[in-house]
Amino acid sequence: MKVDVALFASLASFQPDGLSGRHTREFDFPDGMLISEVIASLGLPDEPRVIFVNGRHASEGAALSAGDRLAIFPPVGGG
Amino acid sequence: MPRAESPRDDRATGRDDRATGRDDRATGRDDRAPLRSATVAIIGCGGLGSSVAEMLVRSGVGALVLIDFDRVEEDNLNRQLFFRDQLGRLKAEALAETLRRIDPSVHLDVVVERVTAANLLPYVFGCDVLVEAVDGVDDKAMIVNVCTSELPEVPLVTVSGLAGSGSANEIVTQHIADNVYLVGDLASDVRDGLPLYASRVMVAAAHQAHVVVRVLLGLEHP
Repeated sequence: MKVDVALFASLASFQPDGLSGRHTREFDFPDGMLISEVIASLGLPDEPRVIFVNGRHASEGAALSAGDRLAIFPPVGGG
Repeated sequence: MPRAESPRDDRATGRDDRATGRDDRATGRDDRAPLRSATVAIIGCGGLGSSVAEMLVRSGVGALVLIDFDRVEEDNLNRQLFFRDQLGRLKAEALAETLRRIDPSVHLDVVVERVTAANLLPYVFGCDVLVEAVDGVDDKAMIVNVCTSELPEVPLVTVSGLAGSGSANEIVTQHIADNVYLVGDLASDVRDGLPLYASRVMVAAAHQAHVVVRVLLGLEHP
């Protein structure tokens, strides 16, 4: 299934093509792949993060569907 | 959510008795009515939150919930809206005092509490917009996760990346998800040892305050 993946900020460097910038990439994942499995396959660091699917909050245990837009955002400190 | 696509004229009601002359008398319109009727939660009253609160009160927002557990310290004075005679005071209480000096009619709820995933929701329930203005990444992620999962219809303004001496022009507002606005450069992190300059922190705070104003006026694009 095709899923669009956007990795924000420092996570952008974990896109497989290695290109910088927060550009959405289209991935071909097995049907029903979990967000946690996407995180593991991309090798994202175990740091605080926020996940949205199709613009709504999603948990790491949620399964993706064809055509989903997955966005992962890592906050940075300061306030 | 108040909308202001059609500015209303409340002059006939004679209700505008607020201290800061916000009824746009020159035009005869009451463009700020959606702000006056709004309640905004400020989660964290430090460098960001204290300035966001000030700007929202000056802009005409009628009610704020000020949430902070911390006290005013000497090293806060280089960027936060506190004064030397407030050292040692609880930030939420000291900020409320300052805001009432600006506008005695503003309604303020002061919450002296460190927010957690378990206690956050009751404090912000019923607010029209939520502002995340804390400094630590764990708390930021927790607040965004709790608010977007439990209150997905309430607009949330979060911030990420305001430290250091990088260009102020790198700080932007983005609409990253439904009802979620992200302010900052997304990169500059205090954990990398970058200092916090009042000028750049206030750029971020102004972005946060202004997107709150825009959302309350019914303008969804940052």
